[in-house]
Amino acid sequence: MVATGAAGTTSRRVQPIDSTKVAVRMVGVGKRYNGHDAVSGLDLEIPTGSVVGVIGPSGAGKTTTIRMITGSLAPTRGTAEVLGEPLGRRSRRTRERMGYLPQKFSLYPDLTVLENVDFVASLYGLLFARRFRRRRQVLELVDLWSVRGRRASALSGGMQRRLELAAALVHEPDLLVLDEPTAGIDPLLRRVVWDEVHRLKERGVTSVVTTQYVTEAEECDLVTLISEGRRVAFGTPDELRRMAFGGDLLEVTTERVFDVAGLGDAAGIHGVQQTGPRDFRLVVEDAGAATADVVQAITAAGADVAAVRESRPTFEEVFATLVERHRAQRAAATAEAGDGGGDGDGDGGSTAAAPTEQEAA
Amino acid sequence: MGLLKMLLRIFSVAGKEIIEVLRRPGAVVSLVLGPFLILAIFGFGYGGFKKDLATIVVIDPASSLPQDAASYQDLGTRGLSVVEVTSDRAAAEERLRLGQADVVIVAPTDPVSTIEAGAQADLTVIINTTDPVAANYAAFLADTMSTAVNREIYRQGAEQGQAYAITIGGKDLSQVPPDVIASPTKAVLQNLAPLPPSVIGFYGPAALALVLQHLAVTLIALSIVRERSGGAVDRFRSSPLRATELVIGKVAAFGLLGGAIAALSVWLLVNLLGVPMIGSPGSVALVVILLLIASLGLGLLISVISDSERQAVQLSLLTLLASMFFSGFVLRTEEFSTPVQVMSYFLPVTHGISLLQDQMLTGVFTAPWQLVALGGLGAVLLATSWLLVRRELRPA
Repeated sequence: MVATGAAGTTSRRVQPIDSTKVAVRMVGVGKRYNGHDAVSGLDLEIPTGSVVGVIGPSGAGKTTTIRMITGSLAPTRGTAEVLGEPLGRRSRRTRERMGYLPQKFSLYPDLTVLENVDFVASLYGLLFARRFRRRRQVLELVDLWSVRGRRASALSGGMQRRLELAAALVHEPDLLVLDEPTAGIDPLLRRVVWDEVHRLKERGVTSVVTTQYVTEAEECDLVTLISEGRRVAFGTPDELRRMAFGGDLLEVTTERVFDVAGLGDAAGIHGVQQTGPRDFRLVVEDAGAATADVVQAITAAGADVAAVRESRPTFEEVFATLVERHRAQRAAATAEAGDGGGDGDGDGGSTAAAPTEQEAA
Repeated sequence: MGLLKMLLRIFSVAGKEIIEVLRRPGAVVSLVLGPFLILAIFGFGYGGFKKDLATIVVIDPASSLPQDAASYQDLGTRGLSVVEVTSDRAAAEERLRLGQADVVIVAPTDPVSTIEAGAQADLTVIINTTDPVAANYAAFLADTMSTAVNREIYRQGAEQGQAYAITIGGKDLSQVPPDVIASPTKAVLQNLAPLPPSVIGFYGPAALALVLQHLAVTLIALSIVRERSGGAVDRFRSSPLRATELVIGKVAAFGLLGGAIAALSVWLLVNLLGVPMIGSPGSVALVVILLLIASLGLGLLISVISDSERQAVQLSLLTLLASMFFSGFVLRTEEFSTPVQVMSYFLPVTHGISLLQDQMLTGVFTAPWQLVALGGLGAVLLATSWLLVRRELRPA
């Protein structure tokens, strides 16, 4: 499935995505360590020029997925292509088109900031003039040019993170793989990082980003939610919201106490939830189109509407709802399968993830 | 363009390694001064000869043998220092047990009568040691002592003109001095080596070879293990860097550092410690280069098979220990059984010591095959390590 570009106003940065070109394609990919499936049956297509977030709880398999994309890990199942070449047979040219920011600091503490960036630039084959120009550009970008002569060991954790980012960007990659780029840095710099990711997107750079800050999913064009090594959901942030709640949400306040049961099976209302004596939340197919019908139905039920507005649940809510639902489905599937169910060999991942996405669809 | 980028990567790896080493002042000092200081302390502190063993001689009061320590010291038995002559064997053995003496020699009660009876008189040597080398040394000294005593008995017989008919070819030798009769021959040692042996001259090149191997093994092994544990290898896997470039870069960096340290150490050895330098500097440089390449190959191998920095350090130290025992540094390789000798040839330092001693002390390669062996060992170790590094850089 290739999700189309982020629509409407949900995404902060909306750029058209050419869904006909795919930077990363993974089909039924699994990675097994010591008898345990770190990732199982993962399908993922990342359109060229998009910003794709990989989110999930700790230990969900995000870093394993990322490392398979970078070529650090080889899948034990399935097939994958990165920048048009199969994993494991990637040419040097293709590798030069990729930038990678690992989760932990992996540069050299005894080298200065400038030397570290210089070293990585050399690894990616940047010749002298371009290297000198780029190392200054990226260090200025991450605000480390003024401390370029300082050893990396003398930098704070946030500065080391920024140094890693500079090293990942120095060779102007077409595909940028960032494993928790904003971990450990202050909110202002997190903003700088995301601004840079969006700026690169405007130049056609594809970014795959994992993050521990679920709210940062809003920064992405597409989000893949992973739990227990399996894909739970994939789509735009708005699509994930709809997957989580079954549609758009309307927050309604009435003039007096109103029992939502009085709404009955009004057309267009998929679900209701009383949140207060005069407050309730409705799940509708399309918030814009359904508002007038909802007001009419409430009025018909004998109440006056004081306020109605579209609700945008936080991504924490979306994330928690989808993950909990996925876990419940997995537990039910395991119970049905009896003792023989186990962790499966990977194929179960696709089938476990599919109902979640299909439900919302 | 491809070749240019390859060279760029090799130089960047090499430069990074050199900068990292030089950024640690303590490491630089120990790298440059360490080998020289070790050699200097060894050379000045080691005399090359064992101290004389404190010896107690037990003599029966009724014996005709001398009763004073000076008489035994005059026998000329090297390695023994007679500190006491006593008739109390039990007391002498107690002092031996207490560590107040190294050897107790019990002289035969009546050697002349025993000899007249056609039997050999026992000269009992008692020691108290668990050290096999010390035990062998004491046995050697006991034989020397026995020979000296025999000589003394001959000398006394000749001097006193007793009833022994000492003739050669029927000729009466009564006019020949007793010392000559007792000891008709004496050894005259000649050494064909260009220079007289000296402790620091002999061990200097050996210590240099040992230190160079240890430095090369440790530096390169720790370098890769640290990169693996720090996540840099993960970065390499996703980058265009190839195993060939990584290996060449590291070998070049540590080879250059090792070469600089070797050059400085040789200069200090020759000019400050007086170690001879009879061979050509080019030949010495060739040996150092081959030794460094083989040692770096060994270090790479250790780094690839180690799963932690601790294991790499342990394996490096085990290599050092094996080198101390089996390379010819302490004991000559010829003293080991054939299988152990063969094993010792897999240590670069075994050839390094032999070749450096040859070149610096004699100016010729007495076993040129060791040059080939050292080069071959380096090639095999590097090729094996390169294959393993290449496997490591593939997706896990």
